Amino acid sequence: MNRFDRRAFIKAAIAAAPASAFLGLPQTAHAAAKARVVVVGGGFGGATAAKYIKLMDPSIDVTLVERNATYTSCPLSNEVISGHGHIEELQVGYDGLGKRGINVVIDEATSLDAAKKTVSLKSGKTLNYDALVLSPGIDFNYTAVEGYSEALANTTHPHAWKAGPQTLALKKKLEAMQDGETFIISVPPKPFRCPPGPYERAAQMANYLRDHGKKKSKVIILDANDSFSKKGLFEQAWKRQYPGMIEWVAGAEGGKVTRMDAKTNTAYTDFHEMKAGVLNVIPPHHAGNIARNAGLANAQGWCEVDMLTMESAVAKDIWVVGDATIHGDLPVYDAPKSAHAASTQAKAAAGAIVAKLNGLPAPEPFFVNTCYSITDEDWGFSVVHIYRVQGGKLVYIKEAGGISPINIPDEPQLKLQRKLEAEYAPGWLKNIMADAFA
Amino acid sequence: MKRYTLLAGFVLAALGAAWAAHAADAKIEALARSCNSCHGLNGVSVGASMPSIGGLSESYLYNVMLQWKHGERYSATMGRHFKGYSDEELAGLAKHFSALPWVPVVQSADARVLAHGKEATERCETCHGATGGQPDDKDTPMLNGQWAKYLELELMKYRTEGVDMPHKKMRKNAQKMGEDADVAAAAKYYAAQPK
Ligand SMILES: Cc1cc2nc3c(=O)[nH]c(=O)nc-3n(C[C@H](O)[C@H](O)[C@H](O)COP(=O)(O)OP(=O)(O)OC[C@H]3O[C@@H](n4cnc5c(N)ncnc54)[C@H](O)[C@@H]3O)c2cc1C
Ligand code: HEC
Ligand code: HEC
Repeated sequence: MNRFDRRAFIKAAIAAAPASAFLGLPQTAHAAAKARVVVVGGGFGGATAAKYIKLMDPSIDVTLVERNATYTSCPLSNEVISGHGHIEELQVGYDGLGKRGINVVIDEATSLDAAKKTVSLKSGKTLNYDALVLSPGIDFNYTAVEGYSEALANTTHPHAWKAGPQTLALKKKLEAMQDGETFIISVPPKPFRCPPGPYERAAQMANYLRDHGKKKSKVIILDANDSFSKKGLFEQAWKRQYPGMIEWVAGAEGGKVTRMDAKTNTAYTDFHEMKAGVLNVIPPHHAGNIARNAGLANAQGWCEVDMLTMESAVAKDIWVVGDATIHGDLPVYDAPKSAHAASTQAKAAAGAIVAKLNGLPAPEPFFVNTCYSITDEDWGFSVVHIYRVQGGKLVYIKEAGGISPINIPDEPQLKLQRKLEAEYAPGWLKNIMADAFA
Repeated sequence: MKRYTLLAGFVLAALGAAWAAHAADAKIEALARSCNSCHGLNGVSVGASMPSIGGLSESYLYNVMLQWKHGERYSATMGRHFKGYSDEELAGLAKHFSALPWVPVVQSADARVLAHGKEATERCETCHGATGGQPDDKDTPMLNGQWAKYLELELMKYRTEGVDMPHKKMRKNAQKMGEDADVAAAAKYYAAQPK
């Protein structure tokens, strides 16, 4: 093949498809010189993006900027709080990505300049990029709950909505509860990270209390919203496993917490005033500050993207993936802020970026999500989302996906279904972490 | 001149076919990448409850995925995924994963359990071979170096009354196994076999 033919060949391959087609292509097919990709944020989204860009086109120079040398997975962190897992099992470093030829920089990105295509780091360094991936996750809006603050979150009132030291701090508080005291979880307005997360947490907290002689205690969920993910499945589990122990207060019934008093451990809503043994306020959140400060977020605080490529709707050559993004007009369900969604978006972005750096049109993306929740030993369930491109738009495939069956009349079959998914959850986590970090 | 045109036409046609094949492969590869989150890179799982799927036979893979798509086979999670795939995509995925090598993840277990497992799997030998790695036909999956946890859970499916696992003989065999301890030992025995 001459040069022209070769180019046509790649083009044909990528038109319908992502860039693993690049694997094994001759050097001339790769981006001229060394294209530079910078990835900010080494969580599920960023680590997966960095790894897959390198896998698809090894000639691209990939730099990953991450604040912490060790990453702690949020998935299965509720189980650490209740004593069913160890935090070390959720932790991973960046050696795996280093071995794949990715430059890992443990540093904080402090600002970016979309016009100059540079990222500034706390250490004073500046990185140039041809393509930038942002997967900074979330930051919190503490002012939305009067009386709460970052300082309180890091000391007496952990939210533990980013796994790490706060996870262990909340575990200690749970363990110190007296029988009869109340554990209050306050849920922010949607959208928030991990839609089923607060309700799984409620079950895990009740699990600890039930099994440690504190059956008179209660878990109260004060919710800013009027419904929640996998509601029927959660309610079935709560009733079977923790009868009378978990209470959910919907937004319409005054569930939205607007104020808290850290000294008296009291939560205030428009209708209620409730004193807690442990007050676990999950504050509203928004796209990670680095993205928001760069003007990439909308008025609600989330980054809008072209769903077919994950490229920012407002800035060129910047791709945003993971929790920081919002996918406004997806029918039926908007894609949840989950590790699985972040991973699948990262793969789509990687395909689009490698194509673009090679002067080719973006391949067709494919999105899948599965969120497992565990409420008790041998009791787990999931929700599956499948999205495909139809008529140039990403759509939710109604025929597929959905939640685990709620009512299974035969008890052994019901128990089998729930046991299987409780077992699958940690298997999924091992694989998706390896997929991102190994 | 005519000869040249013909030749060019032939070359173009061949190239066109190659492009189409390549493009199709790349689309399947994109789909296959999404499986990595649960089944591991190249279909080699690193999580004990999730099966490795790289290197299973094309026919078994296709059959299982089609049964899930059409609601003819029980699954806790997987079936909900495949309702969103075309038959061609499932065929492509089966081809993709069957072309990868079967990489046994050899798991150790103590000698007593292994001996128990060997005994418990005697009746299974005709179809799975002595180690689970010599299936007698293309519709029988590899068991050697598959994850023990996964195998045990799979056997629970075959053993639970009324669960839609369509292979009658396999179901009968699983149900004839004695206690759950036999099942766990059998699973560990297969998981410990490198070949
Ligand atoms: C309790 C809980 C349970 C959950 N359970 C599940 C589950 O079972 N399944 C599931 O799929 N999802 C679950 N999730 C959601 C999941 O954790 C998130 O959706 C996922 O982590 C999103 O990935 P991300 O890459 O967008 O963000 P993150 O994983 O948060 O990664 C962002 C990274 O960027 C870094 N960073 C941010 N800003 C900068 C900067 N300026 N410079 C350098 N580095 C920076 C951060 O340090 C962080 O490492 C759960 C979440 C919670 C809180
Ligand atoms: C969310 C996790 C998840 C994803 C993503 C996933 N699977 Fe699975 N897979 C499972 C689970 C769990 C099982 C066990 C069956 C069940 O659901 O009960 C399974 C079983 C299988 C099996 C049967 C293996 C055997 O030995 O019988 C095949 C084949 C399979 N999956 C193929 C795929 C393919 C191909 C993809 C990608 C298109 C994929 N899976 C994506 C979770 C997943
Ligand atoms: C008559 C042949 C036959 C016999 C005997 C047999 N199997 Fe199987 N086995 C199969 C076939 C075929 C399948 C795939 C069935 C399907 O598609 O559901 C299978 C599937 C399995 C699986 C699921 C593997 C996976 O990847 O999901 C396990 C585990 C298993 N067999 C274990 C055993 C054990 C243990 C015994 C003996 C107690 C046994 N089998 C006896 C034919 C047999």
